[in-house]
Amino acid sequence: MSPSEDQAEVERVLAGDISAFEGIVRRWQGPLINLAYRFCHDRGRAEEMAQEAFLRAYRALSQWRKDAVFSTWLFALATNLYRSELRRIPARMVALDEVAEPADGHASDGGLEDHDRDMAVRRAVLALPSRYREALVLFYFHEMDVATAARSLELPEGTVKARLSRGREILRRKLPQRLAAPRLKEA
Amino acid sequence: MGRWEVRMTTNASDEEIDRVLSFEDEILPSSGFAISVMDAVRREAAAPPPIPFPWIRALPVLVVSGIALALFLVAGIVAVAQLGKVAAPRFSMPSTLALPPLLHGGMESAAIWTLLALVATFVSVRFSMRLASGRR
Repeated sequence: MSPSEDQAEVERVLAGDISAFEGIVRRWQGPLINLAYRFCHDRGRAEEMAQEAFLRAYRALSQWRKDAVFSTWLFALATNLYRSELRRIPARMVALDEVAEPADGHASDGGLEDHDRDMAVRRAVLALPSRYREALVLFYFHEMDVATAARSLELPEGTVKARLSRGREILRRKLPQRLAAPRLKEA
Repeated sequence: MGRWEVRMTTNASDEEIDRVLSFEDEILPSSGFAISVMDAVRREAAAPPPIPFPWIRALPVLVVSGIALALFLVAGIVAVAQLGKVAAPRFSMPSTLALPPLLHGGMESAAIWTLLALVATFVSVRFSMRLASGRR
């Protein structure tokens, strides 16, 4: 995924060659759909939101300032769209208080499968207040890179760090048993 | 000791959160996704550009409307201020004298207001039709 390819194709599109946009779509469809999926956990909706993001990118292509990498601009645009779409029609989710904790914490140490625990944590992330959810989703989507997440969210890095910290704190408080690693208890 | 344990739990929880959220399943785009996006882009490109708002034609009317509104507000404020003076006990002036002539009751003023309203309606309808038809 080289930035020069993006730039060349953007210039071709701006010069009137619409078919050059297909290269951009094919290159970035996976990341944009997966980012949307992390926000809504609904494949169909993720594709719809990603399609709308590409369409908006096409409309706004001339506004891309080449001082930022194209992908940064594209992710910021897509993130903005996904956030506003999910404010308009929230993703189907359970309330944070309803994310199940095992009744007996000790039983969960041996019996609960990792998969269930992972699912519970992901459901809990979706149930977080939007500001914390968005920070966590973007942070992990960008492979734990705070700077990139902050650029996508168009927020200062300090704000993103604070939201990550608060989001994790809420998760720890809501899922104390699921997030207590068994090896820690042995220690 | 207790504080150390709490810190260890927090770190372990963070590691657990990192582990779970870093490795979410990736989904693949459906086979027709790129084609569908390009269809939408081509439709967008083929659509006529949006009609810009005719500011040049609208500006005189907007200016006149603004002035008229300002005058009306000033007239209203003056009328209210004069009513306040009339209400003072030292002057027993009839309230109608405190109002500008147009705001007096009676057939004449009603006729003038009706005429003004008709003229304003006529002008706005003509102007809207002119804007809609694209004629100058």
